[in-house]
Amino acid sequence: MMILEVNNLKKIYTARHAGNNVQALSNVCFSVEQGEYVAIMGESGSGKTTLLNILAALDKPTSGDVLLNGKNIVSIDEREISAFRRNNLGFVFQDFNLLDTFSVRDNIFLPLVLSGKKYEEMEEKLGPIAHKLGIEDILEKFPYEVSGGQKQRTAVARALITEPKLILADEPTGALDSHAADGLLKLFDELNGDGQTVLMVTHSTKAASHAKRVLFIKDGEVFHQIYKGSQTTEEMYQKISTTLTLIATGGGKNE
Amino acid sequence: MNSLFYPKLALVNIKKNSKFYFPYLLTCVLTSGMFYIMCMIAGSEGINSMMGAEAVSFILMFGTIVIGIFSVIFLFYTNSFLMKRRKKEIGLYNILGMEKRHISMILLYETLITGAGTVAAGLITGILFSKLIFLLLYKMIQFKVPLSFYISGFSMAVTCILFFGIFFLALLFNLWQIKLTNPIDLLKGSSMGEREPKSKLVIALVGAITLGAGYYIAITTESPLKAISLFFVAVLLVIAGTYCLFTSGSIVLLKFLRKNKAYYYKTKNFTSVSGMIYRMKQNAVGLANICILSTAVLLMISTTVALYVSMDEQLETRYPTDISLEFFDFKEDMRSKVIEAVNSAAESQGRKLFDLKYYDSISVAAVLEGNKFETENVDFYNESKLFALMFITDEDYSRLTGKNISLRENEAVAYGIHGRLDDSFEIFGEKYNIIDYADSFPVEGMGYLGTVYCFVVNSDEFMSMSAPSEYGSSNSFQGIKYSVSFDFDGTKDEKIAFADVIFDELSTIKYSGDNNDDNPNYRFYVESRQRVEDEIYALDGGFLFLGIFLGFLFLIATVLIIYYKQISEGYDDRERYNIMQKVGMSHKEVKDSIKSQIIKVFFLPLIMAIIHIAAAFKMVTRLLAIFNLTNVLLFAKCTAATMVVFAIIYGIVYSLTARVYYKIVK
Repeated sequence: MMILEVNNLKKIYTARHAGNNVQALSNVCFSVEQGEYVAIMGESGSGKTTLLNILAALDKPTSGDVLLNGKNIVSIDEREISAFRRNNLGFVFQDFNLLDTFSVRDNIFLPLVLSGKKYEEMEEKLGPIAHKLGIEDILEKFPYEVSGGQKQRTAVARALITEPKLILADEPTGALDSHAADGLLKLFDELNGDGQTVLMVTHSTKAASHAKRVLFIKDGEVFHQIYKGSQTTEEMYQKISTTLTLIATGGGKNE
Repeated sequence: MNSLFYPKLALVNIKKNSKFYFPYLLTCVLTSGMFYIMCMIAGSEGINSMMGAEAVSFILMFGTIVIGIFSVIFLFYTNSFLMKRRKKEIGLYNILGMEKRHISMILLYETLITGAGTVAAGLITGILFSKLIFLLLYKMIQFKVPLSFYISGFSMAVTCILFFGIFFLALLFNLWQIKLTNPIDLLKGSSMGEREPKSKLVIALVGAITLGAGYYIAITTESPLKAISLFFVAVLLVIAGTYCLFTSGSIVLLKFLRKNKAYYYKTKNFTSVSGMIYRMKQNAVGLANICILSTAVLLMISTTVALYVSMDEQLETRYPTDISLEFFDFKEDMRSKVIEAVNSAAESQGRKLFDLKYYDSISVAAVLEGNKFETENVDFYNESKLFALMFITDEDYSRLTGKNISLRENEAVAYGIHGRLDDSFEIFGEKYNIIDYADSFPVEGMGYLGTVYCFVVNSDEFMSMSAPSEYGSSNSFQGIKYSVSFDFDGTKDEKIAFADVIFDELSTIKYSGDNNDDNPNYRFYVESRQRVEDEIYALDGGFLFLGIFLGFLFLIATVLIIYYKQISEGYDDRERYNIMQKVGMSHKEVKDSIKSQIIKVFFLPLIMAIIHIAAAFKMVTRLLAIFNLTNVLLFAKCTAATMVVFAIIYGIVYSLTARVYYKIVK
């Protein structure tokens, strides 16, 4: 089943004063199947962040469609968009985006509280997630009292608790040390193993090598993609590096 | 380095930080201007030559001192706020290679520029507005002497010394702060204090107890004299309680709310409760300041307005007749001589007398114990069950009222303003049965002492009461008082002139066959309503003037604190709301959450201030009774009107500053 479908996405930023337009996305097309684990790679300025913002319904494309579970999020009414985002998408950010005024538990509850869920229901949902993520002991602590890895696990728990159709991760390992990053990637593997669809945007070859499919973006277009298939993570890592080198040295033009 | 480098940089800094600096500078200008005006008026010659000058100049002196002290505290407070906000900028200078002494130079120049600029602007504003303020004061105190407007060098000097002193101290404080910290701390400076505040139950408890004690005193104090001595105790207790409750009580309460899961995990409470816990840590003192300043404004304006509005009523209460005469320690034949003297004075002045009343009375303050009035060693200031008692004879009562009554020994007719006694009472060792209660009484007692009872007794008994040698230690017992009161025709000046004639006539009364050593020192008092009229106008007008002046100053302070609170919170909250939007909070939800949070935090001090006023109401009416303002309804109206006007101003300030806040958060 197709969970995400992106058709001919185009985004042009218009500078306020000069007629100097910047084309961030020229023509992006791709789709994500239910239960897939997709990484999107690309250099700075390739349009990764723009793409993610549009997928997250935080930004509107100039043209093109984004179908999430068959529903076009580009045309959703402004008033419904927050609720839609809350119910269908889970977010994991590079800088965690946890609120210092909330305990770990309350940070995780935030989207549920915004949806008006009952406390008992929230507790029920939190139990298994906290157990899986190994954050049961720190639920009462505050974000400034826990480590980076624990913060990111909290953010993952917050993303998972609404049982989203798709998790969007923006450089999730960017602010973590290598040990914590490994832990988080292993966690993503497990979540995907349980059937969770994940879309990750990253710079990191290592992070991307955990995905089942890697899309490469260059100059606002999907330039190339590789499937993991039956390869090991190490083999995938090699393959991604080679591809990146090719793209960087302009190999694309010779292809 | 170019010698103009530091002054230039200082100027640029002030400009760049104008969002924070401008209100501060404006406050400096206003406070120094107001200080100058008050100082000048207090020292002006015109004021000191008028009727009731002592009272008015005391009020103005007091005002000057209050403004001075207030300026010191308040400018220091805003300065420390500015410094906190600017730490990052200063830390950056430090990291970019400026030494601390260079930074000190910048701060020095900044202080010099702002100090000189604002004091100069303040003095100019003060001089420009002083004429207007003078007119206002003269109007309020009904002072008809031509305006004596001038520029006071002395006041200018005092203003300069005070405000340069404040700026100098603030500079020292800032330099000290910079000396203490290292660049990394400076960089982080304004983002420190993110930890969740601990709930300090003990302080919250202390706050509740002190506030409760203050309220208790305010509500239970009955005697006006006691109210004087306890008023400031109550004020201090309430201030202490307010600070404790705002700093700790609020956090205890919010954490309690957070524990209530059904309440806390609701969309509208979730973010606001958790946000407020942090807000309270940073802003509790600011909120307490707002609360106390608001209370002060409300109290000052409502009482002074009530006094001013009721001036004529006060005169009526205290001086029901044009002239009243009182005699003590006089001899038997004095009574007829006084009436003779009054009549002859009226004749010589061509005045016509009306409503001539004369009677004997004995007044004494006593404490009621069971049925017995204790008159010995009464402590006026600390006794809560203080009664003012007045006795007159049945003869006088019959003459004054036209009702013919005749009492036997140990019988009394009673009249009480505040209620009834038992059937009998004991005083000076005699027991009296109350055979009847009067609905009204022809003469007035000492209302300001508290509960008043008037008794009519048998004439012979009255005489024996007048010489209670064994009870002589009563400090309020003055023996028989002979009172004469009357109205008469004529203009105000004629009435004052007549009062003077009466005074001279009475001074020359001789006892028949008296050899002057016998009792040369009989005492008498002449009270002329027209004579005190001007003094009361001056006093109440002076109070109103001071009330409005200080009220305005405190209002400015309140507004400024609110403004700074909004900006600093805006910057703190921006990041939080950003995150919440990413997690799935809509624009509208963000706006609603901000609104509910700000409104709660914002109107808390106002509501608290109104509760303070409500609690203080009774005590203040007791105090106003000393000024002969007994019209509680009038005071209630003034208080209510003041509250409404203040709440409206507060609301306007809120909506204006909330706009600044929204702009920052967006």
